Amino acid sequence: MYSPSNGSNQARFGRKALIAIILTISLVGSAFWAATPSLQAAEQCAPAAASAAGILDVHELTARIDQALATAWAAGNVEPAAPADDAEYLRRIYLDLIGKIPSVADLQAFLASSQPDKRARVVEELLRRGAHSQHFANTWRGLMLAGAPENIEANILIPQFETWLRLRFAINTPYDRLVTELLTASIDPTPQGVVANQRRFVPSPAAFFQANEQKPEQIAASTTRIFLGVQVQCAQCHDHPFSHWTRREFWSLAAFFDRAPLPGMPETKPKSGTANAILIPETQIVVEPAFLDGSQPDWESGSNKRELLSRWITQTDNPFFARAAVNRLWDHFLGRGFVHPVDDLDKANPPSHPELLDELAQQFALHHFNLNHLIRAITSTRAYQLSSRTSGGGEDDLAKFARMPLRRMTADQLFASIVQATGFREAMPAARRGVLADTTSAAAEFRNRFADQSVPRTEAETSILQALSLMNGKLVSDATDLEKSETLVAVAEAPFLKNHERVEALFMAALSRPPAVDEVSQFVDYVERSGPGQESKKALADVFWALLNSAEFALNH
Amino acid sequence: MSRSTASELSRRDLLRLSWAGLLGASTLPWLEAMANETPAVPARKRSCILLWMNGGPSQLDTFDLKPGHANGGPYKEIATSVPGIKISEHLPKIAGMAEHLAIIRSMNTKEGDHGRATYLLRNGYLPQPPVRYPTLGSLVAKELGDPQAELPNFVSISPYRNLNPAAFSPGFLGSQFAPLFVGEARGRNAQDDDNYDLSVADLEAPKGVNLDTVSARLGLLNSLNDRFIGNHAGAPAVGYKTAYERAVVLMRSKAAKGFDLDEEPAAVRDAYGRNRFGQGCLLARRLVERGVPFVEVTHAGAGGLGWDTHADNFDAVRDLSKTLDPAWATLMSELKSRGLLDSTLIVWMGEFGRTPKINDNRGRDHYPNAWSTVLAGGGVRGGQVVGRTSPDGTTVEERPVSVPDLLATVVKALGVDPMKQNVSNVGRPIRLVDPAAKPIAEILG
Repeated sequence: MYSPSNGSNQARFGRKALIAIILTISLVGSAFWAATPSLQAAEQCAPAAASAAGILDVHELTARIDQALATAWAAGNVEPAAPADDAEYLRRIYLDLIGKIPSVADLQAFLASSQPDKRARVVEELLRRGAHSQHFANTWRGLMLAGAPENIEANILIPQFETWLRLRFAINTPYDRLVTELLTASIDPTPQGVVANQRRFVPSPAAFFQANEQKPEQIAASTTRIFLGVQVQCAQCHDHPFSHWTRREFWSLAAFFDRAPLPGMPETKPKSGTANAILIPETQIVVEPAFLDGSQPDWESGSNKRELLSRWITQTDNPFFARAAVNRLWDHFLGRGFVHPVDDLDKANPPSHPELLDELAQQFALHHFNLNHLIRAITSTRAYQLSSRTSGGGEDDLAKFARMPLRRMTADQLFASIVQATGFREAMPAARRGVLADTTSAAAEFRNRFADQSVPRTEAETSILQALSLMNGKLVSDATDLEKSETLVAVAEAPFLKNHERVEALFMAALSRPPAVDEVSQFVDYVERSGPGQESKKALADVFWALLNSAEFALNH
Repeated sequence: MSRSTASELSRRDLLRLSWAGLLGASTLPWLEAMANETPAVPARKRSCILLWMNGGPSQLDTFDLKPGHANGGPYKEIATSVPGIKISEHLPKIAGMAEHLAIIRSMNTKEGDHGRATYLLRNGYLPQPPVRYPTLGSLVAKELGDPQAELPNFVSISPYRNLNPAAFSPGFLGSQFAPLFVGEARGRNAQDDDNYDLSVADLEAPKGVNLDTVSARLGLLNSLNDRFIGNHAGAPAVGYKTAYERAVVLMRSKAAKGFDLDEEPAAVRDAYGRNRFGQGCLLARRLVERGVPFVEVTHAGAGGLGWDTHADNFDAVRDLSKTLDPAWATLMSELKSRGLLDSTLIVWMGEFGRTPKINDNRGRDHYPNAWSTVLAGGGVRGGQVVGRTSPDGTTVEERPVSVPDLLATVVKALGVDPMKQNVSNVGRPIRLVDPAAKPIAEILG
């Protein structure tokens, strides 16, 4: 087992500094996302007979992934990066699972722990946090409502959508169940229905349909892209130029969403034949609903068309459904899918590790689409726990997963991390109570400035305004203001701290690691050269500013 | 406030280091020179100013009037500086400069929804997730922009992005071609004419942080970044560093004075109109003078959807014309007097036109079937009307122009090949403009 140099860092790190900063930050950190009720108890992950019928437990699944990747490394003459040390690992797993960096208290407890399975334990602990379901809800809301033209009706429904997702992730709802709920949601597309629904604030996936403007062809295109990784939308207007989908096949799928649902009324039981047919626009061609593999639904077995479709999509032998989900989750943790771009599982776009993807998909289905099972396995792999440091061993090809790539944070991750590091607090805006879409809070302002729809996050995307906002904007300015910043005041004012302890505390708060030896001397020197009293406090503000503006802070690495 | 001598020295050292790190010390004199030398660069590239009429302007009450027909409404036509061309009585100053205008009266598009039409006109394609088509300004910034320029290559003034944020996005070109937004107001005050601020947000260090401190901080930041980026290869780190470098350059830049409208004489500011759009046009002129290749100014009226005149169309369009006319006309005459009109293409458009039939609220509804746009200035043969609509205004009778046709004409007028390809986020090459496009030859002259 790789043993990082945390022992010496920890010894060097002043206990008093920790006390000061823990007092301030742990309070704020834990209060930021209200914890959800302990719905976790509902989660039953492992199938009864784990060893039976080729079902792999977490440990076995991890080993299988490690083996497959190692084989590919050896074949490609790739030397993987060094293992991530505990601090690097903790920051990463926090960002990936709960969408923000660890508090100093959590970091210190983790570094101090000598439990051999502490990494697996931290995964369990984070999966149970409310912040985990919130982070996954943010992430999947972005995927599920992305790309569709924004419209006011969909916007209004976003809080309900997010809440719906959050409640599902909180109890680790099986993925097939989650997708079925979404596709078969009871929705009233009339303006009155939308408003009524919004007023009631019932958690609901209805925004998915609204974001696709209730149009069968758009809903169909989004559904296949997001849940099957199949790009059929080009076939909307013409036969797909890069694949084998025809326009007829596309509209046969869209037919499942046609005239559904009727305004304010439950759908009637579908019948076979032309009652369900759809007219391809600007043609005389009428097509009946059919699945992408050309098969016809069994009209007697479902209560509505969307139910029949969702059953076909989520069935365990659908070649696309489990693979698309596994690929997406792998991308979430490793910065890139086995198939890239992540939602294009076309034959013309083969996976980097085809057999591994198939096996993971098969296991995902065998485990009843248990997301947390997959998360446990992926986060235990050697690949996930590799350092992001360049080592020059030919590990730079992202598709080899031989080094953790740098990833930009989402706006939500960056905002929550700044809050975590600085102790920023804001009165809860009306929007968080579900009254109105949140447009005025610091969080919304920040999200707006940093929002981008771009995947993958391994590409360069920072804008000038974003840089200006971090350098000069109110959030970071307040965080580095000697009168307003919780963290800075705690560190600068505590009388019992020495300057090197203050510098260390700021590094821990912002970068989630102790400073290296030369960093200590550089920054302590900077503080001490600035002069006594207030001047040295100002110099500490400068240090904190630089840390919060650094690439190391802003990137997930 | 001042710190000890030792600290001053260390700060000064850091200042030097930070500049060396950010720009390379040797580039400083060159930067100075560039900041001083603003207009009249020989053989300058072309620039584009997009005047974006948010909500869909009424063609029947601006550039394609139907006097005498029931659909025409109360406005009169007036003669322009070009015999035979007549436009709305509420655009008298523009009428005096018709020799620069190519009025396209035969726009024929298919999208009547604000969000989708905004995307179509501004990005050139219908939304087709997951492809993230770039907005026109980003495409032009990539082709004509100088990656080393102090000012961003695309500035969007007073944007109203609510209709479709993706229509203001660099899409798959990435954030290096993203617009710098100024004057973006949100909430109730969106597009308020009397309450606007067109300066760059957060361009200045916060109060109480002086320049020495800024330099010292940048010095610390650089050493942290050099260390991290030095052993963490990857595009996000490089992109992050680049954005910071460009932001710092902008903070320090003399060219950033381009955003300071107080430098302009009061009479000039008055001529544009002391309102959001008028001052936005003035800012556009100042930025084009400083070499920015693409500037857009949104004219949206109070509330953001001013041109969306479903009710009381005639009062609303008259009021909007009162701010549009002096701003646009002053912009053209100032560009002309500076010798910049020949190299600056001006595009006037919204996402669609309005219904010829006047509705029960004396309003006009969305109408993509037959409507108008205007091109003027650089690369455009002015003094002409392209296409014709029927006497009732409902159909295009001559020379229908599609969105790709229009955008290909714009791109070509800027000296760029519309069939040039970029690699998209889904790995497929995508042309600047839909390959079905036929540029309007008579405009390109």
